[in-house]
Amino acid sequence: MNKFLRTLIPADIAKGLSVTGKHFSQVFFTANRRKVPFHIVSEYPEVPAKVQPRFRGRLTLLKDEQGEIKCVCCLACEKICPTQVITIEKGKKEGRKMPFPVRYDFEMERCIFCEFCVESCGFDSIILNHQFELAAYNREDFSLGTEGLGQNMFEPSHVGKFSVADD
Amino acid sequence: MFKNEEMEINLGPQHPSTHGVLRVKLRLDGETVTHCRPMIGYLHRGVEKICENQSFFQGQVWTDRMDYCSAVANNLGWAEANEKLFGITVPRRAQYIRTLLNEFNRIASHLIWLGTHAMDIGALTVFLYAFREREDVLDINEAFCGSRLTTTAFRIGGLREDLPPGFEKLVHKFLAKFSSCLEEYENLLTENRIWKKRTVGVARLSAEDAIALGVTGPMLRAAGVAYDIRKAFPYAAYSEMDFEIPTRTEADTYARYQVRMAEMRQSARIIQQCMDGMPEGPVMAKLPKILRSEVNEVYHATESPKGEIGYYLVGEKGSLNPYRFHVRAPGFINLQSLPKMAEGGLIADVVAAIGSLDIVLGEIDR
Repeated sequence: MNKFLRTLIPADIAKGLSVTGKHFSQVFFTANRRKVPFHIVSEYPEVPAKVQPRFRGRLTLLKDEQGEIKCVCCLACEKICPTQVITIEKGKKEGRKMPFPVRYDFEMERCIFCEFCVESCGFDSIILNHQFELAAYNREDFSLGTEGLGQNMFEPSHVGKFSVADD
Repeated sequence: MFKNEEMEINLGPQHPSTHGVLRVKLRLDGETVTHCRPMIGYLHRGVEKICENQSFFQGQVWTDRMDYCSAVANNLGWAEANEKLFGITVPRRAQYIRTLLNEFNRIASHLIWLGTHAMDIGALTVFLYAFREREDVLDINEAFCGSRLTTTAFRIGGLREDLPPGFEKLVHKFLAKFSSCLEEYENLLTENRIWKKRTVGVARLSAEDAIALGVTGPMLRAAGVAYDIRKAFPYAAYSEMDFEIPTRTEADTYARYQVRMAEMRQSARIIQQCMDGMPEGPVMAKLPKILRSEVNEVYHATESPKGEIGYYLVGEKGSLNPYRFHVRAPGFINLQSLPKMAEGGLIADVVAAIGSLDIVLGEIDR
């Protein structure tokens, strides 16, 4: 008899539906209102996504106050990198005591964003910036260096378009 | 006129409910499975060999990519195995933070399991709710180490950095709402008649079989064996934590669901204790600049969300990289119990059996 009643009255399913109903009504009656805690999705490409301060994005070379590259070619980052994406060529520059990186190549397509390079750097000359929109259409856009337009190591990368129609 | 014939079919490797690239070879008699063999190796990258050619420091990034749902637990095992090899003592604060993050990772991994397993069986709603809470755990990962999934959270000898400012607020915000979220999932599933029909009594694996096959983790505890490495061989700060090992005796898919739900509650308890008793002090031990190993071998097992993950390392004199590296992956060994669970059952229950295993193919194929 008890089992028959349980089959007849679906209390278990009503319990589940009450959960979804609660969430539906919460969102439905507060639609278009900002700063409501149960709106958990964001309109991402229109509203920029926030990242935490320690976020590991793309590798960036830093310059000091005089606009000089801080890197002194100790090759620590090149050695520690688990995927060998950094290639540095040592050189000299006039009016600079420390060695100067003639080439600092970074192949982003194989980078795994582990931040070991930043950790190994004793001169604070590289950081991982907060950029995460790193997609691009061409493979060449992933090889970064100290020279060249739109693909240098000092500024954020050129952000790829979300679709071809954006052009 | 009519003749009985067995049919052989493949489940996977592109089937959505095989959680990756697992291929299961099934022989069917009508709808009954008579023969079941998992075929693996589609995601083989040779992680063990790669780690043998990289330094002890660099090897950690590969442990992230084995079981990508529980990267922090893998990092912990790797770091502790190396500390055992080099004889390093980790500061107490670092141990506490490791325990804290490891338990967050357990929650995230179990939530992924809950969502995908329920979705395989047909309850889509739980998937969305489970991923909502997982998002908060990933935000905590991001706040601590800068990455959400492939964390590379720990270093040999401790941690890279201390907890970031505002971390406590994130943790307390999560803990305040998490128990009500767990109730939500249970309201949706525990008494639901469809869920019970699909899980109760399905894919049984007795305690004897589980022990004989070397199955660990929630699979073993659902069979009634209270074996948890956090209690049996305490590591990190688990010896100072007060928690229980949830067990069930039914040994079916429903019991595994109940064990994992109870484990998430215990994890929340451990996190609370870690936050309350967090000691002050340094987070990194004093290390030589370059780690060179002696002739030595270690095996270190930790309790990952899936079961016992063990790292076997052999050192060579003066070498920068391990001479031999081997991982005892919980998913790989738990998967061997699939024929035991699936044979004799219906083909629809194979999906429930695979789901209850909680496998990640990145770890099985390595």
